[in-house]
Amino acid sequence: MKKFLIVILFASLLAQSAAIAGNILPYPILQKDMPNGLKVVTIPYDSPGIVAFYIVVRVGSRDEVEPGKTGFAHFFEHMMFRGTDKYSKEKYSEVLKSTGASANANTSLDRTVYHMTGNAEQLETMFELEADRFQNLKYSVQAFKTEAGAVKGEYTKNNSSPYSRLYEAKNNTAFEKHTYKHTTMGFFEDIVDMPNQYEYSLEFFRRFYRPEYCTIIVVGDATQEKVNALAEKYFGTWKRGDFKSSIPEEPSQTATKYVNIQVPQFPPYLDLNYKTPAFSLERNDYHALSILSQILFSERSPLYKKLVVDEQKARSLSGGMYPTRDPNLFNASASIINATDMAYVKSAIIRAIEGAKNNKVDSLVLKETKERIRYSFAMSMDTPDAIANAVSLHLGHRES
Amino acid sequence: MKKILLTSYLLILVVSVKAMELVQLPLPNSDKIVVRFMFRNGCISDPKGMEGLTELTASTVMEGGTGTYTSSKIKELTYPWAARWSASVDKEVTIFTFEFHKDHAAKMFPVITGLILNPLFAEEDFKRVKSNQSNYVNQVIKASSDEEFSKKALEDLLFRGTNYQHMVSGTSIGLEALTIADVIVHYKSYFSSANLMLGIAGNYTKEYLEQLRSAMNQLPPTHATIAPPALPRSTNGISVEIITKENALGSAIFTGFALPTTRKNDDFAALMIANSWLGEHRKSYSRLYQKIREARSMNYGDYSYIEWYENGGSNMLPPPGVPRSSNYFSIWIRPVQTAEGLKKQYKELSDIKIGHAHFAIRMALREMQLLIDNGMSEADFNLTRDFLRSYMKLYIQTPSRQLGYLMDSKFYNRADYISEMNALLKKVTLQDVNNIMKKYWQTNSMYITILTDDSEAEPLKNSLLKNEVSPMSYSDALKATLPQEILKEDEIVSKYKLNVGQVSIVPIEQMFK
Repeated sequence: MKKFLIVILFASLLAQSAAIAGNILPYPILQKDMPNGLKVVTIPYDSPGIVAFYIVVRVGSRDEVEPGKTGFAHFFEHMMFRGTDKYSKEKYSEVLKSTGASANANTSLDRTVYHMTGNAEQLETMFELEADRFQNLKYSVQAFKTEAGAVKGEYTKNNSSPYSRLYEAKNNTAFEKHTYKHTTMGFFEDIVDMPNQYEYSLEFFRRFYRPEYCTIIVVGDATQEKVNALAEKYFGTWKRGDFKSSIPEEPSQTATKYVNIQVPQFPPYLDLNYKTPAFSLERNDYHALSILSQILFSERSPLYKKLVVDEQKARSLSGGMYPTRDPNLFNASASIINATDMAYVKSAIIRAIEGAKNNKVDSLVLKETKERIRYSFAMSMDTPDAIANAVSLHLGHRES
Repeated sequence: MKKILLTSYLLILVVSVKAMELVQLPLPNSDKIVVRFMFRNGCISDPKGMEGLTELTASTVMEGGTGTYTSSKIKELTYPWAARWSASVDKEVTIFTFEFHKDHAAKMFPVITGLILNPLFAEEDFKRVKSNQSNYVNQVIKASSDEEFSKKALEDLLFRGTNYQHMVSGTSIGLEALTIADVIVHYKSYFSSANLMLGIAGNYTKEYLEQLRSAMNQLPPTHATIAPPALPRSTNGISVEIITKENALGSAIFTGFALPTTRKNDDFAALMIANSWLGEHRKSYSRLYQKIREARSMNYGDYSYIEWYENGGSNMLPPPGVPRSSNYFSIWIRPVQTAEGLKKQYKELSDIKIGHAHFAIRMALREMQLLIDNGMSEADFNLTRDFLRSYMKLYIQTPSRQLGYLMDSKFYNRADYISEMNALLKKVTLQDVNNIMKKYWQTNSMYITILTDDSEAEPLKNSLLKNEVSPMSYSDALKATLPQEILKEDEIVSKYKLNVGQVSIVPIEQMFK
């Protein structure tokens, strides 16, 4: 049994700060790699009677390379609740309900996460349910076409948010070739066309719902022996696949691009985005930029004090980036009080970023920022779900 | 006018001396400390014409400075500790919450006591907080989440003309006139040691708690009388308010009626089982979800509630901190398609008059009435009861949630709601559940709010008022695959009579003024 690579990640995140005694995550992260490629991670945690059971699939909207198929990874996540021969949708719901668990799933750019949190005594039932649908999913054409409407409903509810609409327009503008061009929800016209993609959905399942794409994470009131035994019993015969995504490379950007959406009676909002490197366990780019975003845009920063507190030209100021597998965007954004101050706020943000390029970061501020990230992380790790989520966030970066 | 308001407001200051309540939850293995100050004073104590004052007061205190430090200085000081604090205001309570690592307990003490006992009330902090709050009321709530808007619109309709009507954040006119002087007076008048419940959880010492408790005795010992919470209005028939918005992609729906029971009463347990089966929040195994979303794919989800559920769009489990003594039942139907949208998507639907809202309301109310009339089956009852007894344990996974639920328990005169409810659920019988539905639930009289596109409003109004048949409009591709039983049921639902009394249309700009 070897310690998981996540340990390296957390260690790098927390390096050089001695504020908190001991490990930031004081629980062992125990991993077993099964012969079929499935990874099984157990994190025993003091949550009497409660366990979080997660399956992370290394597929997301990044893998939607074919035209007209945007939003498919997310749609497929919905289809995973449509039953098997053994557990019909109704039976699955009934058994899941009997476990008293909180269960759901979510899809993002690089991964899809299925999770159940509930009674630790029901861990075997959780394994059985998940193993069955991951290996034997079976749905009718009718179920497929019907579920597409629920995805359209999800888009419909999200669309009322100007931030959702801007995010969609921004990605579509920022990227030309790479699949980060579309959001995880997908383009509306592709969502409306989803009912016609039944055959493709079978291919999607064959490609990605394979052991080598998946990691099981169990956090809480469970031992590694028990988790590994259940993994062997229920996932041991799962057959490895052979598909590898080929993601188009994004060409270098040579000039600034602009996009705007008009929303009457809504506070002006400015979003500046910079192409940044992919997350990497070997390089410090992501960590350095994360720290920098706090230094530049947190409530302690001189820019925040200037724009939000003293001059009151912005309602909010924030910045940061996601740890994605491929190069993505670092953003800095502000909600502005008067539209006439848009150019002023933009200049101030750009000046702060350029200043960071040309000047050394104050060593005390750097030390305090690292300390802040450490404490923030330590305090947030207070449930099995929080720990499982933190681990799952970085799983997509590990090919093997 | 403003002076008169302020004067009459001060005159109602009367003595109300009570000992500070205390809730302790020592967790020696935790690395964190959570301190919550719950004042039994929410936005229902906003004086008339000053709606939004309680939230503005609470936010100015918590986002401001102390007698020693400005707000910026505090942020700088606490930055490396990642300590968090915030104010949350609901109808009947205001809560200040502080969360910090045990390493910083001593350093946080003067910050906590400084903010609560000696708030700076700086004009620039007030200006910033007020500007953001006004912006939320005037613009953000109207241009962001349609479903959150329809939920707030339902409260506006259910409680119209009462102290429970306005949003916690207030009204445009109410906020506009408020000054820093109003905030200072309000804080001194309503935030006393007599209406404070102090809660602490995590890895703290007895001495720390004693110091906190002793410090809080410096709050004023009395506070102004708080008017009793208003009850929801009753209505004869179904009363609908359609709010129109340009370019809304869907119709967001909320329905509700008065529910004269709360967590305080033991019969809440039986009602919880009925409600969980009908519409457990964000769960695929509830009836409304299965009928409207799973079988017909009309929207993203459909749920029912027997008490206020804070920010249901983001929360999977009910957060603590919103206890209420005035209660209502509600159904949340997430946005369904409009006629204009469906016409654009499918050419075969080019002649439809209305979208899916009328059908969805019919379907939801019919399912509810069927449940009231027929009761639950023994098997569904057992499964749902066992589910709840296990599921409720997930409500209190973090120290903050555990503490929050214990403090809410006291609001409802209970010692520990979660464990007491577990015991009550164990005793509930199927007969109790079936009886309680008949006692509290009906589908003839209620309020409904619908936020929809301006093109949908008039046709929908006519359809509702005339009880017109509202056939479900599927795309040809989907309809061809649907089983006969669904299509047959659709036909019944499309003609299901709703007791609609009145329907009005209000442009969104006129809301929350």
